[in-house]
Amino acid sequence: MGYERDDIGSDAGFRALNTTSRRGFLRIAGLAGVSLSLVSAAAQAEAEIGFWAKDLSNEKLVDMFRTILRIRWHERTMADKMLSDPDYRGYNHFCAGQEAVAAGCCAALRNSGPYDQIDLVFSTHRPTGHAIAKGVDMKLMCAENDFRATGLNGGYGAEMHLSDPSVGFVGADGMVGPGPVLATGAAFAIRARESDQVAVFFGGDGTYATPHFHSALNNARLLGLPFIYVLENNLYHQYAHYSFSCPHTDIAEAARAYGIPARVVDGQDVFQTYNAMHEAVDRARAGNGPSFIEAKTYRYYNHWGAPGATAGELGAFGYDPLAISSFRPEREVRAWMQRDPVNIARATLINWGVLDAGQAEALETEVRAEVDAAFAWAAEQPLCNPEDGLMHVYAEGRAIARQFG
Amino acid sequence: MTEKSWMYAVLEAVQAEMRADPAMTWIFELTPPVASTPGRPVINLETEFGRKRVVNTGIDEMWMVGAVTGAGLSGSRAATYIPYQGIGMTFQMLQNHAGKLRHMTGGKASIPVVYVMEFTGQTPGFAGQHSDYEMDTAFAHLVGIRTVVPSTPYDAKGMMHAALRSPDPVVFIYPAGLRMLMEDVPDEPYEVPLDKAAVRTEGSDITIVSSGPGMQISLEAAQRLQAEGAGVEVIDLRVLKEMDSATFINSVAKTKRLLTVDMSYYTLCPGAEVIARTAENVDGARYKRIAFPDAPPPASPEMFLWMRPDANHVFDAARRLIG
Repeated sequence: MGYERDDIGSDAGFRALNTTSRRGFLRIAGLAGVSLSLVSAAAQAEAEIGFWAKDLSNEKLVDMFRTILRIRWHERTMADKMLSDPDYRGYNHFCAGQEAVAAGCCAALRNSGPYDQIDLVFSTHRPTGHAIAKGVDMKLMCAENDFRATGLNGGYGAEMHLSDPSVGFVGADGMVGPGPVLATGAAFAIRARESDQVAVFFGGDGTYATPHFHSALNNARLLGLPFIYVLENNLYHQYAHYSFSCPHTDIAEAARAYGIPARVVDGQDVFQTYNAMHEAVDRARAGNGPSFIEAKTYRYYNHWGAPGATAGELGAFGYDPLAISSFRPEREVRAWMQRDPVNIARATLINWGVLDAGQAEALETEVRAEVDAAFAWAAEQPLCNPEDGLMHVYAEGRAIARQFG
Repeated sequence: MTEKSWMYAVLEAVQAEMRADPAMTWIFELTPPVASTPGRPVINLETEFGRKRVVNTGIDEMWMVGAVTGAGLSGSRAATYIPYQGIGMTFQMLQNHAGKLRHMTGGKASIPVVYVMEFTGQTPGFAGQHSDYEMDTAFAHLVGIRTVVPSTPYDAKGMMHAALRSPDPVVFIYPAGLRMLMEDVPDEPYEVPLDKAAVRTEGSDITIVSSGPGMQISLEAAQRLQAEGAGVEVIDLRVLKEMDSATFINSVAKTKRLLTVDMSYYTLCPGAEVIARTAENVDGARYKRIAFPDAPPPASPEMFLWMRPDANHVFDAARRLIG
């Protein structure tokens, strides 16, 4: 059942897949015979749900590509700063390689409007991609990640606790487990107040083992909640392969066992993730209950990275030095990098005639400038006032300083 | 005798106990039971004892703690290592099961199990969930569970041997901020008792009581106070339950001044218990406690480092108390 990545584990396979799109098919129908024969029926079946992505406006398609580029350059710029800028203090759970999941899924959501009408996203300890895709201001996020007083959350939260309700990004969460339960609670409230919002949880393969995974799915199904579980299966929870924590090859099988419709999609292809999410959002808004999407994806960098790293030492940021139980083989990393979400999105849009190579390059230049400007703005922001750490414990008042005795 | 880190010393004890008892098991997630130190062999419990006895599980602390508790009930000794992400998830199993079963069964149930609880090092930058040191009181509040918090590699090894040999469930707090601490530790097994505080320095002007991650700043402050001529008695609780009251009560009876130092939140911190027990038994003493404010640790290093107790705070507060 479902998509199997090995069927199309090559660039050629992906191009072939893309050429079966309506736009591309019309454009190069005369050349497509060979390519079409490479496409596995299973892959096509999961990829082509409803054809929605192909029917989007050029502007929307370019926006999705832009989102991928913004996430990618945010990641790369941050990694570069960690390696080269002695004044930079932010750390990151890198999501480079996983951009197409956030970009495709959030493109199918309502991201602006009053808080009681926009769709709500609950994210993980690896949140920057989701935050950018949901519409969080990159400047503010960069400042928050560098602990600045004018950052998104005033320097209280930083990377693992980014939160911006104004765009429906309820927040990141440094813990593995509670997220989907909280999201089903939001979905429960949404249904009770007869809103057509949906609540989305992004989580990794590590969430499968937690009791929360099973509790969230069971209750979402029992109550028919407008809840979507997007499981980013990047194969590793921290440093351990997911086979240490889950007996299924496709974690989606577990969702089906709870009676929840589930899709397994190629998380490197933004149009596949969009299609699956579109279907799930339609289902939720129509009152037909939860959905589960497993996106097969991969993170290129370590589990996380921090300033002061030296390129090539202790894996910065190529391998996980703490991965004693199960190393990521370098060949695995390289194989996945051949199926890069930036390249796949770019090639598809060029193939569809939405962009040409020059326009794609111009877009990337523009995005890089925006990302550089965001980091530069953040670096100019003031540091926090120490005593403000006692604020925001409750809605009003301040905690009392106790450290002085 | 070799210089060892806290974790190397602990795993050396676990390794020795597992070699002696082929039924003993270890369950971990994310943090492999591996440690090394110069001049000694690398310890890797997973490769030495195999994956039937040493299990790398998914992220599910409830199961880890419940499973070792169940292993104990089945007659096997067992231990687990809960990284800081998940210690809250262990609570029901400890509070309502591990801590009560011996009593509820009229003494029939025995749970010879150790739960290593990693408490973060209160690292600047990681914010509320990854830099707190807040559950020591919560564990100490539970009945039927021994809660210890060794502050040195020597104590850590000896208390791990004692904990693994104890018929009672033991919460073994690992203050991860001590991970770089090294000291000479015997290579052979030995025990440090699970019910005794340690007097680290002797003096007659003031008693400073702390534990785990608060010990380093307390000792540093004591050194500076002693340099000024003050007699400082620093007591390392080592055990939060059953707390060794006699050691600090006897000390305060002598010094009449008690300063407690905790890295956990002010309200109900271990120092509050220390002060209460002392006040019940010593007349005419003066008291002060230092603790983290009743607020989550913020990410910003500027805010966080201002809020976290340090040696200057201890030094100044002790001076004021001595007057």
